[in-house]
This record gives sequence, structure tokens and C-alpha cells, in this order.
Amino acid sequence: MWFFILAELLVFGVFFLAYAFARTRNVELFNASQLELDQLSGAINTVLLISSSYFVVRAVDQIRHGRSRSCTYWLLAAMTCGGAFLVLKLAEFGAKIEAGITMSTNTFFMFYLGLGFFHFMHVVLGMVILGAVTLKAWKGGYSAASYSGVETGAAYWHMVDLVWIILFPLIYVLH
Amino acid sequence: MKYKSQAVAKPYFIAAIGLFLGQIVFGLIMGLQYVVGDFLFPAIPFNVARMVHTNLLIVWLLFGFMGAAYYLIPEESERELHSPKLALAMFWIFLVAGAATILSYLLVPYASLAKWTGNDLLATMGREFLEQPLPTKIGIVVVALAMLYNLSMTVLRGRKTAINLVMLVGLWGLAIFFLFSFYNPGNLVKDKYYWWWVVHLWVEGVWELIMGAMLAFVLIKVTGVDREVIEKWLYVIIAMALISGLIGTGHHYYWIGAPEYWQWWGSVFSALEPIPFFMMTVFAFNMVNRRRREHPNKAAVLWALGTGVMAFLGAGVWGFLHTLAPVNFYTHGSQITAAHGHMAFYGAYVMVVLTMISYTMPLMRGRAANGRVAQMVEMWSFWLMTVAMVFITLFLTAAGILQIWLQRVAAEPMSFMAAQEQVSLFYWMREVSGLIFLIGVLLYIGSFFIKGKSEAATT
Amino acid sequence: MMKAATFQWLVLLAMTAVAVGLSQATLSDNAILAPVLLTTLIKGRIVIDRFMALQGAIAPWRWIVLGWLVLVLGLIGYAFHMAQT
Ligand code: HEM
Ligand code: HEM
Ligand SMILES: [Fe+2]
Repeated sequence: MWFFILAELLVFGVFFLAYAFARTRNVELFNASQLELDQLSGAINTVLLISSSYFVVRAVDQIRHGRSRSCTYWLLAAMTCGGAFLVLKLAEFGAKIEAGITMSTNTFFMFYLGLGFFHFMHVVLGMVILGAVTLKAWKGGYSAASYSGVETGAAYWHMVDLVWIILFPLIYVLH
Repeated sequence: MKYKSQAVAKPYFIAAIGLFLGQIVFGLIMGLQYVVGDFLFPAIPFNVARMVHTNLLIVWLLFGFMGAAYYLIPEESERELHSPKLALAMFWIFLVAGAATILSYLLVPYASLAKWTGNDLLATMGREFLEQPLPTKIGIVVVALAMLYNLSMTVLRGRKTAINLVMLVGLWGLAIFFLFSFYNPGNLVKDKYYWWWVVHLWVEGVWELIMGAMLAFVLIKVTGVDREVIEKWLYVIIAMALISGLIGTGHHYYWIGAPEYWQWWGSVFSALEPIPFFMMTVFAFNMVNRRRREHPNKAAVLWALGTGVMAFLGAGVWGFLHTLAPVNFYTHGSQITAAHGHMAFYGAYVMVVLTMISYTMPLMRGRAANGRVAQMVEMWSFWLMTVAMVFITLFLTAAGILQIWLQRVAAEPMSFMAAQEQVSLFYWMREVSGLIFLIGVLLYIGSFFIKGKSEAATT
Repeated sequence: MMKAATFQWLVLLAMTAVAVGLSQATLSDNAILAPVLLTTLIKGRIVIDRFMALQGAIAPWRWIVLGWLVLVLGLIGYAFHMAQT
């Protein structure tokens, strides 16, 4: 799993830098286009992902003490946040598409939509992984002695969070 | 050889080697036509020779993959093949269809062939690597489905391992992506999409699974390293291959009329494609260094290591060389592409099939390994072919750089043919290297006929 | 232990608020670059060391991931800085 996570971080890292350096050649365009973004929605999404990451930490702590049931609850809380993130993100994309903006509009929106969608797919995958872990925890499949599945799922979810923590200031905030 | 039915692999491998020789002969013919334009005119025009060369390559690699699958799957599943008769029947169908197709390329004008084989019903002909007439294409699908049925039944009822599952998924992918070759839209951009979805998703996607499974199988056998270790490597390698390879298709979308953002997505993802190839190299060397036994088949070990190195050089290094959009802007469709195509195909797929043949053929002939002399000759053929291919690649790369310079960069660009004229020295050198490659192939074939004291069969 | 996690969560939220606040305030572009990157660095470190629990993990992983964070943020800072002058 860690190998996977590193590979993903590498891909995102390259794209972040591509964004930053593509911007140097087109600062005005990037700044103007950035003003069209919904920063509030981005900020709420940050709060959602950070909180879900925190809930996952609590879930891991619970299972470490052998408490399957409350581990499940924390995981469900985390997934609720993840689900809310996806809904908000879809609304954001929807508004952009409504406004006639696509990946071909300009370089800024190429990155915004492309990176956003790519990250979106990672949230979806993270949700699938968390869902599988939650289901198994619900059925009592983990114990204080064996919970590496929870840890692995948690690590992936934190990676998705970590990437967003950089993506948000980079694309929504810095100008 | 543990199961009798594994022996159906033998005719597949023999056919593969025979067609391999044919492929190289046509490569040499073309290589000469590059510098002596009217060589064999009008009997074998360049475009026909090219079609024969590339189609023989694909067909013999498919023979190799199929043979490998028929050998590997029963052994991994720990049971006899579901139906050896079906496998043998498919062999003959494929061989006859393949031979008929190649002969028809040589004997009939392509346009007439198209007319006679129903290309007006469903137009599928005329695209590189996928030139086969409709009946042949359908034949390939039938043979592939019969094979998949046969193998899937074997795996379903037997032991499931990482190796046989990855192999099976790879073969299913191969068959499924081939279906894109039946759609040939009039829109040139779409046409290119569908073409790459076969060609790219094969060599930089599902074929990597097949290759990984074959390599892992041979490495387990010749090194005795724990299966768990090898399977972990296999999983990581194929995960990396799929992550990078699928979106990496974008490195072919740069200039074909696809949206511009593909220059970013194609560049970034395909830049990661060398990683799985690099890991295969590390994998092979690592396993051989940690070996628990000295397998008597030294030649097979050499092929396995060689596959790792050459696949990384050809696909990883030479692929990376021209995969970034700003570089590809200049190199697209030049001799650089041909250099990469040769070394990648040889280093990855030709060599992995030869690795498998080298390991299994002695076993199917009733011994653990060939005698010393036969192995020595085989290793010589390894070095001749491999070194010759390195030189072919280097000469083509040199020709490519010069070509790009003269034709695309210089202040007063030359026309295509004028630029070709300037680099003909490199084409001559390529032809000489090709002759050495041919000697390697002949030695390789010869090594099968050398008698001598051989190691007793153990596994 | 979980008290610490709750505290880290609150820090993460606060840092997010600071970054958003900075971008809303009508400061010059130059002025927000360093503080926003700094808050991001802190957030990243918390997630890596605490949430992913890489602090104290077998050596290479932590350094690779932290190194990735520093490298990416550093180069982003460099690129934005270059764009301003
Ligand atoms: C074993 C694996 C591979 C094989 C067999 C292979 C083979 C080929 C072949 C035959 C072509 C020419 C297609 C044509 O007729 O136009 C081609 C093109 C290309 N390959 Fe590969 N390849 C492999 C892996 C890779 C990898 C890993 C990369 C990138 C890192 C790569 C990058 C490219 C690019 C950019 C082109 C297009 C060249 C152009 O624009 O003309 N290939 N490859
Ligand atoms: C195992 C060995 C070989 C493999 C895997 C191989 C593979 C290929 C492939 C994939 C292509 C299509 C390349 C592209 O579209 O860019 C090709 C074309 C070609 N090959 Fe080979 N080949 C091999 C050996 C040879 C040899 C020994 C020669 C001659 C000395 C040769 C001469 C040619 C020529 C002249 C072309 C046509 C290039 C063009 O259209 O400009 N090949 N081969
Ligand atoms: Fe490709």
C-alpha cells in the first residue's frame, strides 16, 4: 500500500508543479480565472476532508482498543464527510459546466477541472476502501490484535486528504 | 513438466520460432530496400514487406503467449488443462489462418484481398499492425476465446495463484482490446483513438501483465525464492503498469486532433510508465541474487535477466526519450520512433517469450536442462541478438536525430527524401547489425538440434 | 493520545481559516504567499506525522513523504515568487 501511496503522491506532485510553473507564463490569465472559483465551497470541502481524516484517526484508536462498534461509528462519520465532499464538488463542477467552462477553456481551467476530477476519483476510491473496511469492522472482522486492514485504509484516506491540503491553497487561494 | 497436457505448448513454441525467422528475413529485405530502393522490385514492394514483418511479429508473439499460457496455467492450477484437444485444434486453425494471411499479403494486391474478404461489409483493413483481412481478425477472436474458455475452466477448477490470475486477466484484456480493431471510423481522429486503444493498451497495458506473469513464473522455478515474495512484486508491478499505462495513452494524442490538455496528461502519466519496467529489472536481479538453488538451466536465467534489462532500456529509457510533448513535437514519427519500437518489442516481448521457451522446451523434451554445448550455443545466440539489437537501436537513433535536425529544425529544412539520403550510412550499418541478428536467430534455432549429455529431469 | 489528535484537528481547522482569511484580506499577492505556504506546511506535517503516524515509523517512509511535502511546497513557492518579479 505504501508503494501505491508514494506513486500517487508523485503523480500529484508533478501536476502541482506543472500548475505552478505553467502559471508563471500566464499570471494574469490564472489570476483572472481564479476569481471565478467558488472559494467558500473549496474551504468547506477542506474542513470536511480534514475532519473525516480526524474521524479516521479516532476509528483506528478505537479498534486498537478492541472496540469494533465505535470504530464503525467513527468510520461512518468519516464517510459521511467524504460523501458531503463529493456532493459539494459535483455541485461546483456542475456550476462550471453550466457556465460553459471545460478543460479546453484555458490552461487554468484545464488544471482546475483536470486535477479536481482526478482528485475526485481518488476520494471515490478512498470511499470504496473505507466502505469495505467499515463493513468488515461492522461484522467484527477486526480486533485489537489484528487491525492492519483499518490502518491501511486509513493511510490511503489520509493521503487523499494530504493531497487536497495542498491542492486547495494552490488553486483556490494563492494568487 | 508436471502435467501431460502442458505439452500442447510445444507446437505453439515451434511455430513461434519459425515465424520469428520469417519476420527477421523480411526485416532484412526492408532494411536493404531502404538503401537499394529497387531491391526485389516489383515482386515484394516495401509496404508489403513491412506488413509481413510487423504482422509476423505480432502473430508469433501471440503464438508465444498462448504456448506460455498453456504451459503455465496447468502447472499453477495444479491440474490438467481442461481440454488439450481444443488447444491443439486451435493451434492448427491459427497456424493455417496465419500462414494463409501472410501468403495472401505476398501473392495478392492488398486492394483485391480487401475486396475478396468482405472489407466492404465491415471495413477493418489498412491500419498498421491491424492489416489482417476480416476473416483472419474473426479467426483471431475465435482462437482467443476458445483459449480463454479452456484456460479459465482450468483455473476455475484448480488452484488460484497470483501468477495464473494475472496471466488470465492479461489474456482476457488482450482479447477484449483487440475488439477495437473491428471499428474503423471515417473520422481520422477517432480512427486514431481506436487504433491506439489496441496498440498502446496492448503493449503498455495488458501485455505487461502477461509479461509479468511469465517472468514471475520462470523466476520462481529457477531461483526457488518464496512464492509470497515473488507475488508481492508481481502485484506492485502490474498496479504501477496499469496506473501509468491507461492514462499514459495520452502520449499518442498530442498531434492527432485531440484536445490540447492531453499534452499535459499524456506527458505526466507516460513519464511514469518506465517505473514498472524498471521494477521488473530490479525484480529479476533481486530474485536471482537471493536464489535458493542453482538451476541447471543457465540459459533460461540469462534470458530472464536480459528481459529485465532490455525491456527497461527499450520501453523505459527509449520510451521516455520521446514521450514528453515538447520533445515529441520534434520526434513524432521519425526514426527515433522506429528505434524505440524495435528495442521495446525485442527487449520486452520477444525476450520474455524466448525466456519461457528456454525454460520449458528442455522440460517438454524430457530433461531439466539442455547439455552444456547446447546451452553455450543458446547463450551465444542471446548475446548476438541482444547486442545486434542494441546497435540497430543506436544506429536508428542516430539516423533519427540527424533526420529531425535536417528535416524539422534546420534553418532551411530539407524535404523528407533528401534528408533520408543524408542518413543512408546509418541505414547501411543497421542492415549489417540486422545480419548479425539473423546469425543469432540461426544459432538459436541450431541450439535445439545439438545433442549431448543433458541434465536429468527433476521438476 | 486522542486529546492530542483532537487538538491537531483544531489546529488544522484554524490553519485553514487563516489561509482563507489571508486570501480574502486585500493584501498584496506577495504578502500572502509565505504565510499560506507555511500553514500548508504545518498542516501537511500534522497529517503525515500524526494522522498517518509516520513519526517514529521505519526510517525511509517518513523521510520520503516529508521530503515530498517540502520539495513540492518549496518549488511552488519558488514558481509563485518568480511570477511576481
Ligand atoms: C514494451 C513496451 C513498449 C512497446 C512494445 C512499444 C512499442 C512502440 C511502437 C511499435 C511504437 C510505434 C507505433 C507507431 O507505429 O506509430 C511506439 C510509439 C511510442 N511509444 Fe512505445 N512501446 C512500449 C513502451 C513505451 C513506453 C514505456 C513509453 C513511454 C515512456 C513509450 C512511448 C512511446 C511514444 C511517445 C510513442 C510515439 C512516438 C511518436 O510520436 O512517433 N512506449 N511504441
Ligand atoms: C526481434 C527483432 C525485431 C523486432 C521486434 C522488430 C519490430 C519492428 C516493428 C515494431 C516495426 C514497426 C516500427 C514502427 O512503426 O515504428 C518494425 C519495422 C521495421 N523493421 Fe523491424 N523488428 C525486428 C528486427 C528487424 C531487423 C533485424 C531489421 C533489419 C535489419 C528490421 C527492419 C525493419 C524496418 C526496415 C522496418 C520499417 C521501418 C519503417 O517503416 O520505416 N527489423 N520492426
Ligand atoms: Fe504508447
